[in-house]
Amino acid sequence: MKAFVGRFARNRAALVGVAILLAVVAMALSAPWIYPGDPWDMVTEPFLAPGTNAEFRFGSDMMGRDLGAGIFHGARVSLVIGGVATAVAVLVGVTIGAVAGYHGGRIDRALMGLTELFQTIPAFLFAIVLVAIFQPSVRTIVLSIAAVSWPPVARLVRGEFLSLRSREFVQACIAMGMGDLRIIVLHCLPNAFAPIIVTGSLMVATAILTEAGLSFLGLGDPNVMSWGTIIGAGREALRTAWYVATLPGIAILLTVLALNLVGEGLNDALNPRLRNR
Amino acid sequence: MIRTLRALAAVALLGLAAVTATAQEPVKGGTLAVVLNPEPPILVSAFNSAAPIGVVSTKVLEGLLTYDFDIHPKPSLAETWKVSPDGKSITFNLRKGVKWHDGREFTSADVQFSAMKVWKEMHPRGRSTFAKLLAVETPSPLVAIFKLAEPSPYLMSALTSYESQILPKHLYDGTDIAQNPYNNKPVGTGPFVFKEWQKGNFVTLERNPAYWDAGKPYLDKLVIRFIPDAAARAAAFETGEVQLGGFSPVPLNDVKRLEATGKFDIETRGYEYLSPMFLMEFNLRNRYLQDKRVRAAIAHAVDRDLIVKTVWFGFGKPAVSPVPSSLTQFHTTDVARYPLDLKKADALLDEAGFKRAGDGKRFKLFLDYLPYGSDYQRTAEYLKQALSKIGIDVEVRSQDTAAFLKRVYTDNDFDLTTNFFYALPDPTIGVQRIYWSKNIKKGVPFSNASGFTNTEMDQLIEVAQVEHDVKKRRAALVRWQQLAAEELPVLDLFETKFFTLASKRVQNHTVSAEGVYSSFAQVWVKK
Repeated sequence: MKAFVGRFARNRAALVGVAILLAVVAMALSAPWIYPGDPWDMVTEPFLAPGTNAEFRFGSDMMGRDLGAGIFHGARVSLVIGGVATAVAVLVGVTIGAVAGYHGGRIDRALMGLTELFQTIPAFLFAIVLVAIFQPSVRTIVLSIAAVSWPPVARLVRGEFLSLRSREFVQACIAMGMGDLRIIVLHCLPNAFAPIIVTGSLMVATAILTEAGLSFLGLGDPNVMSWGTIIGAGREALRTAWYVATLPGIAILLTVLALNLVGEGLNDALNPRLRNR
Repeated sequence: MIRTLRALAAVALLGLAAVTATAQEPVKGGTLAVVLNPEPPILVSAFNSAAPIGVVSTKVLEGLLTYDFDIHPKPSLAETWKVSPDGKSITFNLRKGVKWHDGREFTSADVQFSAMKVWKEMHPRGRSTFAKLLAVETPSPLVAIFKLAEPSPYLMSALTSYESQILPKHLYDGTDIAQNPYNNKPVGTGPFVFKEWQKGNFVTLERNPAYWDAGKPYLDKLVIRFIPDAAARAAAFETGEVQLGGFSPVPLNDVKRLEATGKFDIETRGYEYLSPMFLMEFNLRNRYLQDKRVRAAIAHAVDRDLIVKTVWFGFGKPAVSPVPSSLTQFHTTDVARYPLDLKKADALLDEAGFKRAGDGKRFKLFLDYLPYGSDYQRTAEYLKQALSKIGIDVEVRSQDTAAFLKRVYTDNDFDLTTNFFYALPDPTIGVQRIYWSKNIKKGVPFSNASGFTNTEMDQLIEVAQVEHDVKKRRAALVRWQQLAAEELPVLDLFETKFFTLASKRVQNHTVSAEGVYSSFAQVWVKK
């Protein structure tokens, strides 16, 4: 563990990523104290440019809602949706991939066929269709994002398990008469953790972007202020009030960048072949 | 004698000079590009009231009458008309020498066919407007007499080319009217002849040289372009690609910027005939909303001035009564008012027995909004905030238009909705459908969705349908508005003010209450 932290810390970019990410998490956690009250409240005049009013430093949108409150509270929504959607997708992906890779044969073919079926549909379009059918709410958005992002995890885990299956320690477990579930959970899975964690960190970034894209198209939960919601509303006013769409856009950019840097740092630190690079 | 002639000539010259001083001489020729969204499904309005169709069809096809800004009838295909003293017979003397674009004579048979077979049977509003129409008699090719079972005083304001369009009998009689191929390549009597429809792109109309109003139209060509994205429409105006668009064609927050360029007219007149009203419907089947005090509390919690000023950028007028103020003969301000008063709203809810719980909330309601654009969504967002102040937790639901219409008008599975209705020039045509208990019809969009049933209201509505005496009819309509304000089955929020955006080079584009539904024969473009 110590060695891992040391390897990770040697990667400057990854540390920057962690710093930004911590800042975003701090924003999300501190939102109720820094901006008490509802981010939807119309507290000031519409279209206040950032920096022109000391009380509303980030400016206001077309309804006179404080953009600062929107961005801080939006951080919570975006992180929660990104995190939960990824957790669901990883859970589904790992289960399907592990079962397919461990058992092989007919089960493998059936499960991989299903995975490929999902992979043939462009992910974002599929998410749009799902949200449009089930009507936008936080729950349907999370489930739709999860539904379109599990296939890569499943394929990755299957690959890992296919190779682990033939390793001696797994063969030994089988020879000792251990149950399948026990072998999968206790012996194979820990050995496949590294790539899953790396993929998962990048998936959070994709999920945040997907949620923003859905809200931008008007398919966000109308009761929840996310970054995408603010951008979607500010898009029409781009020519008159650029900052409404731009500020949350920057927040998304930084968060996604940070997640990518962290993901790459993890990849480098966890990959044994790169250990002595 | 010669002296008098000279004097006359001098007066005429003076008069002419005065005219040229105030109005410029129209220039003939040129092309006008109009922007429209969404693309209409067909190009004939006679049996389909969809708003975008009217912008195209009214240039090609015509109605019996047209109307000035005060909705007074003016001649169009009918030159003169006379209502019999008992109100049960209306005689129209038709214009002589009018020809369809294919060369056939226009006659009273076309009027008879359109009224009896098309408007009365197929038009969504025409079915009730012409419900009392028994027959159209045609004693001569230029006389059409409407025979009514009972007086229908509102009928005279429903004869525009958009609301009651006349179709050529020789092309439609004996065919499946809804599927007739001429619905996509209309043949009319109007100032413009249909030329081409490139689907997803544009419709081209050309000048009708044989138009009955000699000298008109001024334009050689009319192109109607379909651009779905609001921001792209604004860009098309700026580049000069399009010169005119109705029904607020650009994002509302962009209007000031466009106005500041000095190149555009922003015209809010021309929607008097439609008189759209933005309102919130209450589902009276809901256990909270069935209490009149709860509805009154909600009315007291909503700031209509703020909705108009902030959400709709000033394009509206806070509503007072269900009949818009533009319907001057019928509108009254003598109704119960619900000014913004949160204390009173709180008191009303407490009195109704819905006290605040520990978290400050009283109960929860769903709000479904008509998904016509971001302004509509922002209105819902505002209402959610406004009602949270009096302890009502509102969850906004968004869905597409088809799902919205099904939820509200077929399943009645809603608590609150925001929506808009065309009030049209007469309450019997436009407003009645919201309040009449006989209009609680599952599956009929834009009818009485709240489930409001009130015997006195039904009586007033039915009096207004047949009362021929102007004063007595107004009295019924005034009481109708008062009762609606007392009972509050719907909360009228504001009178929507659409605007027409036009390049300053485009002249005479808004000359009557019909606005962009006028024939455009009078429109000309400065060189």
